[in-house]
Amino acid sequence: MSVSRGPSTAPYLDLYARRGGEAEVLRTRRQEAIERFEAAGFPTVRDEEWRQTNLGSLLRAAPGAASARTIQDRELAPFLYADCPRMVFVNGRYAPEASSPPRQVEAVALAELGAGGAAEAVVEHLGASVNGSASCSADAGVHPFAALNTGLFEDGAAIVIPDGAIVEQPLQVLWLSSPAAGAQAARGKAPAAVEVSFPRLLVIAGENSQASVIETFAAADPGAGGYFVCPAAEFVCGAGSVLHHTRLQADATDAFHLGFQHAQLERSASFDSSSLAFGGGLVRNDTMGLLDGEGSHCTLDGLYVVAGSQFVDNHMRVEHRQPHTTSHQLYKGVLDDRARSVFNGRIYVHQAAQKTDAKQTNRNLLLSKSALANSNPQLEIFADDVRCTHGSTIGRLDEDALFYLRARGIGREQAHGMLVYAFARELVEKASFEPLRQDLEERLLASLNGGGDG
Amino acid sequence: MLRVRDLHARVEQQEILKGVDLEVKAGEVHAVMGPNGSGKSTLAQVLAGREDYDVTAGSLELFGEDLAEMAPEERAHAGLFLAFQYPVEIPGVGNSYFLKAALNAIRKARGENELDAMDFLQLLRERAELVAVDEALLRRPVNEGFSGGEKKRNEILQMAVLEPRLAVLDETDSGLDIDALKTVAAGVNALRSEDRAFVVITHYQRLLNYIVPDHVHVLLDGRIVRSGGSELALELEEKGYAGLTNGSSGG
Repeated sequence: MSVSRGPSTAPYLDLYARRGGEAEVLRTRRQEAIERFEAAGFPTVRDEEWRQTNLGSLLRAAPGAASARTIQDRELAPFLYADCPRMVFVNGRYAPEASSPPRQVEAVALAELGAGGAAEAVVEHLGASVNGSASCSADAGVHPFAALNTGLFEDGAAIVIPDGAIVEQPLQVLWLSSPAAGAQAARGKAPAAVEVSFPRLLVIAGENSQASVIETFAAADPGAGGYFVCPAAEFVCGAGSVLHHTRLQADATDAFHLGFQHAQLERSASFDSSSLAFGGGLVRNDTMGLLDGEGSHCTLDGLYVVAGSQFVDNHMRVEHRQPHTTSHQLYKGVLDDRARSVFNGRIYVHQAAQKTDAKQTNRNLLLSKSALANSNPQLEIFADDVRCTHGSTIGRLDEDALFYLRARGIGREQAHGMLVYAFARELVEKASFEPLRQDLEERLLASLNGGGDG
Repeated sequence: MLRVRDLHARVEQQEILKGVDLEVKAGEVHAVMGPNGSGKSTLAQVLAGREDYDVTAGSLELFGEDLAEMAPEERAHAGLFLAFQYPVEIPGVGNSYFLKAALNAIRKARGENELDAMDFLQLLRERAELVAVDEALLRRPVNEGFSGGEKKRNEILQMAVLEPRLAVLDETDSGLDIDALKTVAAGVNALRSEDRAFVVITHYQRLLNYIVPDHVHVLLDGRIVRSGGSELALELEEKGYAGLTNGSSGG
């Protein structure tokens, strides 16, 4: 392999050539995207935006399309919330027998996208954020993995919430990875090959609608990694809409997860997203919020709890394009063992976006001497009447608090767990849907009690 | 109950305690008085098992067991309680959740049944009333945003719930107004009993008007330079610590 020109895109272009096809209406969109990907190539650590994300181990592995697999109900059960309408995807393919789409909204699998119905809106918006028509400002450039997803997604979910609809029950979208036996690498070794899937989500929230969407990324067998999941999600928030989004990432601890999410907000729309990352070996999430309508608001929160040799990178970009827009970001990280994290938070305030109120906080708790957190806030402000605050902290457990708890009879481990839980809980308790909140709490507690060295 | 012999301890290479002797029997209240920097708080922290304090010589025995071998939580399980001079704020941990975890950890270590939520709540309410702690404080995170007086009262509440055999109060009176001081003292007095002992560490005599000690010790420069009955506290109030440095008798 040539090293001078960056990693070869050929194996992925080959996947495109051998793809199974697509809905007729999406063909052009897909072709454009793959051309963009080919022109951009894979990023390297020489690219500013990817300086701290080393993709070497991923790009050295030969990609293969994820295998088709039928899944048993009992394999799904641990990831599903009772009574929630749901769409289940296994290795990137829709599993209609396991799904129960909601009645109130139009929820369609992209592979089955025909003409009429939701198709028109879907075609209008799908990939728009990636291909430039609704992109962040020009220097945001092409996101290579988002473009790759548009070129290669086998299936996905398009959810169209009608104008004025108030959808009370959250809609769950489960993206389950279940690589074929033998795909996994020996423990602690970089895999020679990876099964790749490209989950694709498009949510179009109609004017004055209200809904919430829970995305769950998980491995059928948490011990079976050696896969690469490359999701892209787009949220189009119509005027006055209120959209809640939770993104739970519980992939196998040696899986690759490179995700892209983009929310575009019209006038007075509100988008509130929480991204909780527990799994994955090499994880990167690029999250973009585009405040494109006056008075719109986005909350982009996140929690990452990592140990062993996990790496998690959150790249945030929030653009204030219109006056009176507000954005809040709170990201917290708990890192043990040799885990590493990157938080890169860029807030871009356009000249027209007077009265912007933007707030960004990143707090990290290091539980071991070898854990490492990087935090890079970046403000670019071109309006003169705005309020922008940012803060980042990287700290260790408070020894005084630990001693205080122990002096009251609470054992060292329990005291430790209580303090870490206390640090992270606000992001778990934020979930208003009780089964989700419980699930998050259990995952947080489990990852504290000997998630341990992977 | 507590036997401290020739205790030497250092913090960051500096020797603070230079041979402390102290013996406390069940049912007794001992006051340890001394000026700032005399080693009072170091003594309290060493008793509770703070790990960055090094015991370099001497011995510490609690209920006949060698304290040096015990972790802070094991000391608490054995019945030791330290009311901190500076109670620590713990954001995100609810006060009543914390107290329940502490009580049940102690009960479990002693082979007793853990209390369920209902039984605990009843106990907590009862004790909160005993030491005049507002129930609103129970719902807040441990000490977070508490006033100085609220923090000290919260320490006394913890003591009332955990029912230690030996309680060490480290300057629990400092920074309290007279009403809060009376409340704290009343809480302590309510808990005095035949099988429980107190070591009250204080800078000022004032607290001892409300918690009358059986024995008073004066700690100066890392040593107990004088011991006596409760009248010693009054003498100190009159003459000050400087008046004691000459002609003092140890033990």
